[in-house]
Amino acid sequence: MKKILLSVLLSAPLWVLGQGFQVNLQGQKQIGMAGAGSALALDEASVFYNPGAVTFLEKNSVSAGVNPLLFKSAFKQSGSNVTEDVKNKIAPPFEFYAVWGPKSNKWKLGLGVYTPFGGLVDWGDNWSGKYALTSLNLKAIYFQPTLSIKITDRIGIGAGFVYNHGDVNLQRALPVNYPDGRSGHVTLDGTGTGYGWNAGLYIKTLSNISFAIVHKSKVITKLDGGTAEFDVPNSLRSSFPAGNTFNAELPLPATTSLGVGIPLSKSTVLAFDASWVQWHIYKDLAFDYATNTSALADTKSARNYRDGSSFKLGINHQASEKLALRAGVGYAFSPVQDGYVTPEAPDADRYILSAGLGYTPTSHFEVNASFFFEDVKSRKQKNIETGLDGTFKTLVYAPGISLTYKW
Amino acid sequence: MKKYILNSFVAAAILFTAACKPEIETPAGTTAGQANFSKYIAVGNSLTSGFADGGLYLEGQKVAYPNLIAAKMASVGGGAFTSPFFTDAQANGSGYISLTALVNGTPTLTPVLGNGWRDAPTNSRLFKYSGEVQNLGIPGMRVDLSFDPTLTFSAANPYFERLLTDAQVGKTNYFQFIQGRNHTFFSLWLGNNDVLGYATNGAVTVTGDPTTVLTDKVTFSSLYSNLLNALTAGGQKGIVATIPDVTAVPYFNTVTPAALLNAAKAINPAAAAIYIQTGTGAVRAATSEDLIRLPFQSAGLFGTGAIPYGLHPLNPIANNWVLDKDEVIKVKDYVNSYNSSIKSLATSKGLAIADTYTYFNQVKTGINLQGVGINAAFITGGAFSLDGIHLTPRGNAVIANVFIDAINAKYGSTIPTIDITQYRAVKFPDK
Repeated sequence: MKKILLSVLLSAPLWVLGQGFQVNLQGQKQIGMAGAGSALALDEASVFYNPGAVTFLEKNSVSAGVNPLLFKSAFKQSGSNVTEDVKNKIAPPFEFYAVWGPKSNKWKLGLGVYTPFGGLVDWGDNWSGKYALTSLNLKAIYFQPTLSIKITDRIGIGAGFVYNHGDVNLQRALPVNYPDGRSGHVTLDGTGTGYGWNAGLYIKTLSNISFAIVHKSKVITKLDGGTAEFDVPNSLRSSFPAGNTFNAELPLPATTSLGVGIPLSKSTVLAFDASWVQWHIYKDLAFDYATNTSALADTKSARNYRDGSSFKLGINHQASEKLALRAGVGYAFSPVQDGYVTPEAPDADRYILSAGLGYTPTSHFEVNASFFFEDVKSRKQKNIETGLDGTFKTLVYAPGISLTYKW
Repeated sequence: MKKYILNSFVAAAILFTAACKPEIETPAGTTAGQANFSKYIAVGNSLTSGFADGGLYLEGQKVAYPNLIAAKMASVGGGAFTSPFFTDAQANGSGYISLTALVNGTPTLTPVLGNGWRDAPTNSRLFKYSGEVQNLGIPGMRVDLSFDPTLTFSAANPYFERLLTDAQVGKTNYFQFIQGRNHTFFSLWLGNNDVLGYATNGAVTVTGDPTTVLTDKVTFSSLYSNLLNALTAGGQKGIVATIPDVTAVPYFNTVTPAALLNAAKAINPAAAAIYIQTGTGAVRAATSEDLIRLPFQSAGLFGTGAIPYGLHPLNPIANNWVLDKDEVIKVKDYVNSYNSSIKSLATSKGLAIADTYTYFNQVKTGINLQGVGINAAFITGGAFSLDGIHLTPRGNAVIANVFIDAINAKYGSTIPTIDITQYRAVKFPDK
C-alpha cells in the first residue's frame, strides 16, 4: 500500500518544480526534513505547510525562528580564467507562528508571518556581469491569518488569507563612462503589496498514513512609485532625469503540493512532499518609468519561466522523550529555461540535503535547530537578452534555529 | 549541556558555511596548443598602435588590442610585450579630441593639444622611442607603402619616424623594419588604409599624396603574400585579420543626407533636397545611399554662402566630402577583393584568421556582449572612438577577443578571453 502510493506520486507527470526566488525555509522541523511535512501535523508551522493540519495540533503555541542564509554563487565568463564570487551577505529568512483554539474544540486560529520568496545577491560593482546586475535584494514577507477546522476526527481543512509586503532593490552598472572612466549606475528601489491565499486538506487514514493537498495561490505584487536613481555623467542627465520613479509587477507563483506522511514506528515518521510551482506566470520583468526619454524607454525583459517542481523526503525520529532527530533529501527542477538564466537568479536544478534536531526540556518549551544545504548544479549559459555568457555555480547554506512556547 | 550542544551545532554550521565556496572547473586547462607565444609581434596600422580619438596618445596605446592579447597570452607561455609608449610627460602624444559637451544630442568636440612633439610648435616630429618594440603598429601604414621603394615614407610619417634611428630615417621601409625580430608568433592587421585613405578623402586621390591612393587588387595580393612570407620565414604561427567594410564605421554613417535635410528644414521649411557633386563631377540630389564624411558636421560649410552650400544645385557639397553610391560600390568591391586575398593566402599558410569584416558588420547591426549593447553609432555606440573610425578601449577589448577566439580555435590554445566590461567607451563630460 505504502509503496503503491509513493510510486503513484513519483510517476505523476514530471512537474517542473522550480526554485527561482523561492525560499523553502518556513519551519525548523520541516527544514530539517528537506522541506517535507505538509502531511504531518508537526507544529504551528503547519499554518504555512498545510492549514488543514493546524486543527490537529494538540496544543496552542507561539514560535519564532530564523535561518541565516548564505547564497554562495560563483561565475566564470566563457573563455575566461577568472572565477568571480558573490560577496558574503547573509539573508535573514524568518518565521513567526501562533496557533490558538479552545481545547477539545473543532477549530483553531493561526497566524503566520514568513518569507517564502526572496533573493540576496551582491556581485560587487565591478564584476564582469556588472552591466546585467550588480546586486539584488528582494524580500517578500507574507502575513497569513488562518482558520483550520476539523471536519471529522481524521479530516481537517484550513485556509488563510495572504497579504504580502515586498521590497525590491535592484542595481546594475550602466555602460556609459565618466571622464575618469568609471561606469554609470542605476538603483531601482521600491516596495509593493499583493494578496493571495493558502488552503489545505489533511487526511489521516485508519492506517495512520496521512495525506495532504495544499494550494498556495499566486501573489501578484505591485510596486508603485519606486525610486529610479540614475548615476550618470551630467551631460547625460537630461536623458536620465533625476527624481524619476517606476512601476513594476513581480508575480510570485502559486504552489500546489501533495504530501504523504508514513509512520514507520511509534517514534519515527517519514514525510514525502511533491510540489508544483507555477512559475509560468513570470513572463517578463517590466519597468515602467514615470518619465521616459529617447535614451530611457520602459523596459520589458523576457524571463519566460516555466513551471518548476520539487520532491522532498524527510524523516523525523523521536530519539527520546526530549530529543528529536531529523534528516531529509530533495531534488528541485529549475523553472529557468536555457537562455534566461540571469545573475539575479543563477538558477539550475538542485539537490537538497538537510538535518535537524529538536529539544524539549519542558512541556511548555521547545528548541529546534536545522541545517539546510542546497547544491545548485553548474550551468553554462548565454543570456539571450544581455549576452552575458558564462558558467554559474551556486551552493546555499542555511543553519536555523527556533524557539517555541506551548500551552 | 543540551544548550551547549545546540550552540556548538550552530557555530559549526556557520564555520562550515564560510569555508565552502563553489568551484567552477575550466575543462580545457591552460595550454599554448600548437603555438608558441613566447615572443609575439603585432604588425599593422593605427588600429594596432592604439590610435584613438583622432590621435595617438598613451591611454589608447595601453589598451591597443595587441597589448590586451599579449597580457592574456602570459598565462599560456607568452613573454614580455614591448610597445613604444609615450612617457607620462608626453601622455597626450600627438594630441587627440575629447567630448566636452553634449547638448540635445549635439556633441562639442574639443582638441586636446599633443605634448609628444619634439619640434613644437611646428608639430611634425614626435619624441623618439628607442629600444625593443613588439607592437609595430604605425598609424597610416598601408600594404603598398610597406614596400615604399623610395624609402621616403619612413621620414614623412611621424609615427614611423619616431621609431627609427636617425640613420634609418629615409633609408628604410616598413617591410624591412618588421623583419629580423626573432618572433615566435605574429598578428597582421594591415590593408585598411589601402582603401580607407581613398575613401576618407571622398574617393579622391590627391596627386602626390600616396596615402590617398586606392591600391590595385593584384598588387595588394602580391605584396600581402610577401609580408606573410617574411613573417612565416622561420615557420612561425600567427593570425591575420580581414579588413572591415569601410562603410560600417560611424565616420560614414553619422552625417546622413536625411539628417542634414532635417537640420535645413528646421531653419527653412522650404528646403527640399541636399545636393552633392559626385565622383564623375555630376551634381544631383543626395540619397540615403550616398555617404557624407563625419568631419563635415563641424566643417562650418553647410548652408553658408549667397547660394546656400549643399542646398542648391549651383553650390553642391564638394566631391571630397562625399562617398557617393557608385564610389561606395567601388570601395566595397576592393575591400571584398583584399579580404579574399587575405583569407586565401592565410589559409594556404595555415594561419588563423580574425574575420573582423564579418564582426564589424555585426556591430553595425548591434550586438549584446556581457550585458553591454554595442553598435556602430557615433559617440553612444560604445565601439568607436570620437574620430568615428578607431576603437574605444571597449572596442579594442571586443576585437582582441575576436583575435583570441580565432587563435584558440586554430591552434588549440587556451588564451583566456578579456573581460570587456573593464574597458571604457566614450567619456561623457560630467558638467
